[in-house]
Amino acid sequence: MRGSPAIDRVIASLKRLPGIGDKSASRLAFFLLGAPDSLVADLADALSRLKQETVMCADCFNLGDRTPCPICSDDRRDDSLLCVVEEPADLSAIEKSGSFKGRYHVLGGTLSPIDGMGPGELRIGELERRVRSGGIREVILATNPNAEGDATAHYIGDRLRPAGVLVSRIAYGMPLGGDLEYADHVTVGRSLENRRKFSD
Amino acid sequence: MAAIGNRTRDRVRAPLDDVPALVLRTVEFGEADLIVHLLTPTRGRVTAMAKHARKSVRRFPGSLDLFNHLEVKIHPRRRGGMPLLDRARLLSPFLALRDDAARYGLACYVMELLSRLAPEEGVGPEMRGIFHFALEVLEALEHSRPDERMRVLVELRALDALGMRPELRNCVRCGREVEGPSVHFHVADGGVICRRCSRDEELPLRAHLGTLRALEQGLRFPLAELSRLALSGQSLAEAHAIVARFQRYHVGLELRSERFLNQILRSSGGAGPTPAA
Ligand SMILES: [Zn+2]
Ligand SMILES: [Zn+2]
Repeated sequence: MRGSPAIDRVIASLKRLPGIGDKSASRLAFFLLGAPDSLVADLADALSRLKQETVMCADCFNLGDRTPCPICSDDRRDDSLLCVVEEPADLSAIEKSGSFKGRYHVLGGTLSPIDGMGPGELRIGELERRVRSGGIREVILATNPNAEGDATAHYIGDRLRPAGVLVSRIAYGMPLGGDLEYADHVTVGRSLENRRKFSD
Repeated sequence: MAAIGNRTRDRVRAPLDDVPALVLRTVEFGEADLIVHLLTPTRGRVTAMAKHARKSVRRFPGSLDLFNHLEVKIHPRRRGGMPLLDRARLLSPFLALRDDAARYGLACYVMELLSRLAPEEGVGPEMRGIFHFALEVLEALEHSRPDERMRVLVELRALDALGMRPELRNCVRCGREVEGPSVHFHVADGGVICRRCSRDEELPLRAHLGTLRALEQGLRFPLAELSRLALSGQSLAEAHAIVARFQRYHVGLELRSERFLNQILRSSGGAGPTPAA
């Protein structure tokens, strides 16, 4: 099956996607070759519109089809609460929970020096400006509870200290469906530290 | 080295016993997997695949995170594939490294250095030395906030652990002990040169004998006690120049985490190490 430049080009493009190796790329390419024309046309159309029709919100840096995004332009939301997340996918996860009615700030990653990500690569300056412009009572740091996410949260906490705003961190603890017997000692320790009153 | 390695690998296909390991780096792979770069005292640097690590709560609870000190069981590589991480137990997470940008920055820098330079599938006493060095750095950073001095000494210790120690006492050309008060350091030749062996056309780095003695002590002291070392002002600048130039010449790597480290150490203004909390 060698020798079709068109197939080779698709395989080469797919291989550049994260998590796609040689085998997956050629499996997908041959699947597309055998798929109905409409499926391939839909995919090609969707891909070509992806960049054209996606814009970044100028206030929170979420991705959507307009700026300001629907969350930033919703005047029923609480302006005094600002939730800081790493990526748009994290914002979506919090939105799906339905437990947060404030505003967001998408950093665009975490401090990861090994990947060349420093403070200048994240939207930390923009966050400081938002906080300094007033009206925010609490900043909730919702970066992931891993080394990079924790380091980023601490760094932002230090940078926001002069602004005198309340800074909080999402809780660490046992995951739902977790099992104490299988949890690592740090998670168990932290869930005890972060325990809360259960009944009055 | 490759030929011997292959044959040895074929013979040791059975899963290894639990071995200590440090997490140098993790990279997300596919939907739920994680590629984990580990440093071990017995097998050198190992890159292993942790299947379902990002989805399953039970398989690797909280353990596959940067800087974590673990006990792991690895299945050696299958035909053409990557070794599989079978299980991992968390020994220490070095949480204090996350609380402070300078500690985080230096720890990231060392992890990157080792992930680029520690031998892969290496064996022998030098691997134990590298692993011990890495663990000692993380433990020291857990207890004290690094400054420019600690950074220089950690870099020197890293070179030493990786078998690239600069010669600080005897002339690299004639072997005689160099005399002060001012001595010449020849970067390309890898050490100090005495006055007799110095040639006019060369432009060696100049340093005070005291600076070289302090660096030598820095190689012997436990890392946690580096704050006892007298290295500041002019002699810190000399030490920094020697180690940085030596590293650039003999290692020849540009580390991505260096920019962040420089930025953080500069903005924190060289405050001395703080006592353990
Ligand atoms: Zn928005
Ligand atoms: Zn000489």
